[in-house]
Amino acid sequence: MPRIPLLAFVAPLLLLASVAVAQETPEQQALRLLEDGRAYRAQGKLKQALDNFSIVVGSFPGTESVGAALLEIGRYRMEVDHDVDKARQAFEQVTKEHARGAAAPGAYYHLGLLTLGRASTVAEIDDALAQFARVETLYPRSEWVPRALQASAVGLRRAGRYGEAADLNRRVSLEYPASDAAAAAQFEIGSALALSGQPRQAMEEYQQVRNRFPQSEWAQPALERTTALYRLFGGAKPAFTLDPAFAAGTGDLLKDVVAIASAPGGAFWIASGKTKSAVQLDAAGKITASLPAEEPRALSVSPRGEILFASSRGLRIGLKDVRSFTTPPEKPGAAPKPVEHILAAAITPGGFTLVSDDDREKVLRFDAKGEPAGFFPPGDSTKRKVTRIVLDTEGGILTLDREEKAVRLWDEAGKPLRVFGPAGLKKPVDVAVDPFRNVYVADEELGIVVFTPQGKALTTIIGPELRKPRALTLDPAGAVLVYDERAERVLRFR
Amino acid sequence: MPARVATIALLLSSCLLPFARAQEADVPEALQREVQAAQDGLARAIAEFEGSQQSRSIVAFDEVVRRLEAPGSQALPPRGRDILAQAYEYRGRAYFNIGLSEKASENFRQLVQLKPDYALAKDRVSPKVVDLFGNVKKALVGYLAVSSKPAGAKVTLAGPGGARRELGLTDFFPMEVLAGEYTVEVSRPGYQTETRPVSIAAKATEALQFDLVRILASVYFVTQPPGVEVWVDGELRATTAGSLAPELQEAVRARGLDPITASARTEVANLSLGGHALEFRRKCYETVKRTLDTAQAQDYEADPLRMEDSLASLRLVSDPPGARIFLNGEARGVTPAQIDAICSGKLHVEVKHASGKFIKDLVLAKDESISLDCPIRPTLAFLGLEAASSAGQQHLADAEGKIQQNLARLGSLNFIVAPREAVDRILEQEKTSRAALLPGAGTDPDLVRKVTERLAAALEVQGFLLALLPDERLQRTARLYLLAAGNTTAESIDVIFAESASYGGVLSRLDGRFANHRPWSGLLTVDTLIHDGVPVLRVLPASPAAQSGLAAGDVVLSVDGQPVKRTADLLAAAAAKKPGDKLALQVRGGAVGSAPRGVDLTLGESAREVPLFDPQLVYNKVMMDQRSELEGYPGTEAAAYARLNLALCAMHFSDYAGAHDYLQKAKAELPARPGLSRGTALYYLGLALEKLGYKPQAVEAYRAAAEAKDATLTDNDGPAVGPLATRKAGP
Repeated sequence: MPRIPLLAFVAPLLLLASVAVAQETPEQQALRLLEDGRAYRAQGKLKQALDNFSIVVGSFPGTESVGAALLEIGRYRMEVDHDVDKARQAFEQVTKEHARGAAAPGAYYHLGLLTLGRASTVAEIDDALAQFARVETLYPRSEWVPRALQASAVGLRRAGRYGEAADLNRRVSLEYPASDAAAAAQFEIGSALALSGQPRQAMEEYQQVRNRFPQSEWAQPALERTTALYRLFGGAKPAFTLDPAFAAGTGDLLKDVVAIASAPGGAFWIASGKTKSAVQLDAAGKITASLPAEEPRALSVSPRGEILFASSRGLRIGLKDVRSFTTPPEKPGAAPKPVEHILAAAITPGGFTLVSDDDREKVLRFDAKGEPAGFFPPGDSTKRKVTRIVLDTEGGILTLDREEKAVRLWDEAGKPLRVFGPAGLKKPVDVAVDPFRNVYVADEELGIVVFTPQGKALTTIIGPELRKPRALTLDPAGAVLVYDERAERVLRFR
Repeated sequence: MPARVATIALLLSSCLLPFARAQEADVPEALQREVQAAQDGLARAIAEFEGSQQSRSIVAFDEVVRRLEAPGSQALPPRGRDILAQAYEYRGRAYFNIGLSEKASENFRQLVQLKPDYALAKDRVSPKVVDLFGNVKKALVGYLAVSSKPAGAKVTLAGPGGARRELGLTDFFPMEVLAGEYTVEVSRPGYQTETRPVSIAAKATEALQFDLVRILASVYFVTQPPGVEVWVDGELRATTAGSLAPELQEAVRARGLDPITASARTEVANLSLGGHALEFRRKCYETVKRTLDTAQAQDYEADPLRMEDSLASLRLVSDPPGARIFLNGEARGVTPAQIDAICSGKLHVEVKHASGKFIKDLVLAKDESISLDCPIRPTLAFLGLEAASSAGQQHLADAEGKIQQNLARLGSLNFIVAPREAVDRILEQEKTSRAALLPGAGTDPDLVRKVTERLAAALEVQGFLLALLPDERLQRTARLYLLAAGNTTAESIDVIFAESASYGGVLSRLDGRFANHRPWSGLLTVDTLIHDGVPVLRVLPASPAAQSGLAAGDVVLSVDGQPVKRTADLLAAAAAKKPGDKLALQVRGGAVGSAPRGVDLTLGESAREVPLFDPQLVYNKVMMDQRSELEGYPGTEAAAYARLNLALCAMHFSDYAGAHDYLQKAKAELPARPGLSRGTALYYLGLALEKLGYKPQAVEAYRAAAEAKDATLTDNDGPAVGPLATRKAGP
C-alpha cells in the first residue's frame, strides 16, 4: 500500500480550520482570543496571555471583548509587573470607554485595590472605599459586588473600623455564600473581631471558614489563627508549651544566630554570623536556599511575602534582588554617602524601604526606586539604635530600640501609636507581632514577654531551656520560635 | 310570489333534507348541486302552477325534469328521485289542466316507472286527475307479495339492467311493482339467501313463499347481575340487561341464581358453526371465560351465569393528612382512610391537598388489600413550549414531546401538562401572555405574582414550567423556565432537548430538596493544631450539649467510637443522625491531666435558613417546597420557618415587597427563643424595609431584633442577631 504523506491528511484539516476561522466574525475572533488568553493565564503562561489580550485591544477595537481584555492587561500590570501606573491606566480606560461593559465593575474593583494597596492614610483608604462602592452602586447584580464588598471590608479594617468591617464581611458571607469572596469574607470577620478584642467570637468565625469552606485557601489560615487565639485566650490564661521534638538547623548554622524568621509557605530562615549567611530550611529541616552576607544583621518579610535579609552594607530582597543605599551628600559637590552599617530593614505597604543606620543612628527612608526620602518617622531628630523593624498585618511599623529598651509602634506615616516598655522590659533583643497585633518581645533576661495591642502585659514565656533569647519569630499558627544563644538552639513554644 | 317560492322551498327542503343527508354522503358534489337547483326550480314551478299561468309552469317543470333526467334515474339520490317524481306529477297535472290528457298520461307513465308505488294525494288533486293517474298506473303495475319462514327476511327486487329495489321485510302484503321480469332475493341473517325469478304482469298479483334454511346459531344468556358484556372470539357481541321474565325464573333459581337480580334472556345471534371462546366481563366482577360449541344451526341456551365480584381495598395515608381522595376521578373521602369495595383492575389514585398532590396508577387484584403511603408533592404544570424563531417552529412538536417525556421522570414533583384552554382563559382575562411571565419581558412583578396565584388556584398546582426554543443556528437547546406560584421571577435551565442525558442535571437539581431543619447539638468546637481532639469553645444555652453537662474547655476526643480530629468529624456524625438520636462522646476536661469520660448527647433540631445566594439552588423549586410545607402544616412551627424561608427566597429575587409580607407573618408566628426565631425574622424585616426605602420602620425592626435575646441567623449556631441589629439600628 503506498504511504500517504501525513500532510495529505493534515492539510485539509488545516484548511478547514482556517476556513472555519475565516468564517468567524470579528466579535467571535476577539472572544476566542480573550478566552485563550485567560486559559494561558490559568496555565501560568502569563506572557502569552498578555499577548492575546493586547491583540484583542489592538486589532479588534470595536468588539465587546476589548473591555475585558483591558481589564486583564491591567491585572497583569498590577500583579506581574507591579507597575501601578500602567495598571491604573488600563483600568481607567475600561471605566471611561467601556462603562456599560461587563468588565467595568471589575475595573472599579481593581482601581480600589490599587488605591488600597498604597494607602497609608485614612483619606487614601476612603478613596479606595469609594472605588469599591461604585461597583455595587453602578452594577448591583454584577459578580464583582461581593468582591468589592469584601475588599471594602479590608479597607475598613485597615482604617481600624473593625465593627463596620465585620458587618460588611458578614453581609458578603451571608448574602453571597457561593461567591469567591465568601470564604475570605468569613475569614476577615474573624480577623476584625480578633483585632477589636473579641478573641472567642473570632475563633468561632474562623471555625466557620473551616466548616463552610473546607476546601478554600482560607481553611488552613483559619486553623492557624484559631490555634494562635486559643493558645492565648482559650483557657483561663495563655498557655505555651515547649515542643521537645522541634529541631531546626545544625552545626555552625546555630552559632552566632543574629535573626530568625518564618516566611510564607512554611519556610524558616536562620541568619548566622558564623556561617555569614541566611539559610532557608524546609519543614523537614533541609536547606533549600542560602544567601551569603558578610555581616548578617536582620531578617524580616516584605508585604509581598519576600524574605528581607539585611546585612551591614545592603539588603537582599527575596533570593535575587540586592540593594545598597546611599544618602545625599552632606556637602555640595561631595559624593553620596553609602549606608554601610545597617542594623535592620523593612519594606512598608506603601513601597518604602526603611533602613536603620547605625552610623546616623536614624531610620532612613527610601522610595521604591531606592531614592532617599527622609527619615522615619519624618522629621525625627532623635537618635535611635533601631535593631529591629517589623511590620504588623495592619500596616503598623514596630521598631525595637535597644538602647531605649522599648518597642515603638508607628503608622506608615510615622505617627507614633504606642510604646511597649521600657517598663516591663530589661534587655529586649528582638520583637515579633502576631496577626492580632499582640507584640512579642524577646528579652535576654526576662524571656518572651507578650503584650496586648493596648500595651498590657499578657504573659511571659519562660522556662529552664530559655536562658538567653537572642532572636525571635512566630510561626503562622502563633507558636513562638526563639533562638537561645546559650543553648545554641532554636526552641519552639507551641 | 318570491315569498311563496321561498315558503314552498322551505317546506320541500324540510321534508327532504334529513333523509337526503343520510343518503347523499356518497353523491358527487356536482350532482348534489344539480339536485339542489332542481329543488329550487321545482319550488318556483309549483308556485307558477298554483298561480294563473299553468302553461308557464310546464316550462319550469321541463327544466327540472331535464336536470334530473340527465344523470339517469339510477344515479339519482333518493332526494333527486323524489323531486323528479313530483316534477312528473305536477307537469302531468299541468298538462291535464290545459287539456292535454295525452301529455298528462305520458308524464304519469314516467312517474309510475320511476316510482311504481307513487300515489297522488286525493285530498289535493282533482278526482279526474286521480282517475287518469290510476288508469295509467293499472296498465303498468302489478303486485308482488312475499312471505318467508321465518318471517322478517329482507326482500330485494332485482330488475332489468341491474336495478335493485328493496321492498321491505317479510311477510308483506302485495306491493305495487312495475310489470316485468324480476329476480326476488330473500335474505335473513343466519339463514341462507334465496333467489327466485318472477314475472309480474300488469294488474296481476304474484305471491311467493320462501322457506329459509338456517345456517347460523344463536345463543341465549342469562347473567346475574345484568350489565355483563358478552365477548365472543374477542368481539363484544351483546350486553345483558333488563330483568328476567317470570316464566324463566324457576329454571334460573334451580341453577342457583337469584332470578330477581338476573338479567333478561339476551341473544347473541348469527354465530358461525363450531367452537367459540366466550368471555363475560363486568366492572367489579371477575371475568369468566367459557367455551361454546355451536355444532348446529339452531338456538342454544347457555347455562345461567352468576358473576363473582372482584373487589379490593385500599388504605391511604398521606403526609400531611386531611387530603382529598379521588379514585378514578371519584371523590372518596379524606386521608387517612380505609376504602373497601373498590373494583379490581386499573385504578388512578389522586390525593389532593392544598400543599400538593400524590398521583399513582395501580392495578388491584381481587381481594387485594393495599396500604398506600401518599407523600404529598408539589405539582409542576407545563404551560407549553414556544419558539423564538421560525426555524424553531419546525422542532416544536418534537421538542415538546421530549421535554414532557423527560420531565415526567421528576421524583420530587408531580409533572402535569396544563390544560391549554384553562390557561389561555386566565391569561386573556389578565391581559397577558405566557411570554410575559418570562424574565426580561418587563411585566409588572405584581401582575406576574397575581397571574401565577390565579393559575395555581385554578389548576391546583404549585409551580409552572415554560419552555423556549431560543434563536440559534443549530436548533438544539430548550430553555426551561421554572416559576413558583406567587413568585415574580422565573429561573432558567438549558437542556439539549433531544438528549435524555442532558436532563440529568435538571432533574437532580429539581429533585433536590432544601432541608429546613438539621440535627443540632448546640456544641461549638474549634480546630486547633495543639489538641488531640477538638476543644469546646462554647455551649449554647438550653441546648442538648448544655443538658448533657458539657462545658467550654472540654475536649471532644471521639464520637460513637470514632476519633475526632476536626470539628468536621463531629458535624458529620451529627448530620448522619436524626433529632432524638444519641451521640456517644468521649471527652476530657480542659485541665491538664483530666481523665476522659463518656457523655451521651441527645440531638435536638435546628431550623435552617435558605442562603440568600446559592447557585446550586433553584429558588423557585425551593419556594414550591416551602409553600408545600406552609400549606401542609398550617399553624405549626414548621410552617413558620417555611414562611421565613419563603421570605429569604423572595429576597433572593430582590422581591422585598413579597419578603416583607412573608416576614410580617413570620415574626408573629416564630417563637421568641435562642437560635433561629422571632428575632431572626425581625432582622430580615428590617433589611427588607431598608431596601424598600422605609428607613424609620427598618430601624424599628432592627431595634426589636436587637432585643431578641440570643436570636441567630443561618441556624441555631449562627451569628447572633443582637450585635448586628444594634449596629444596623444605629445610635
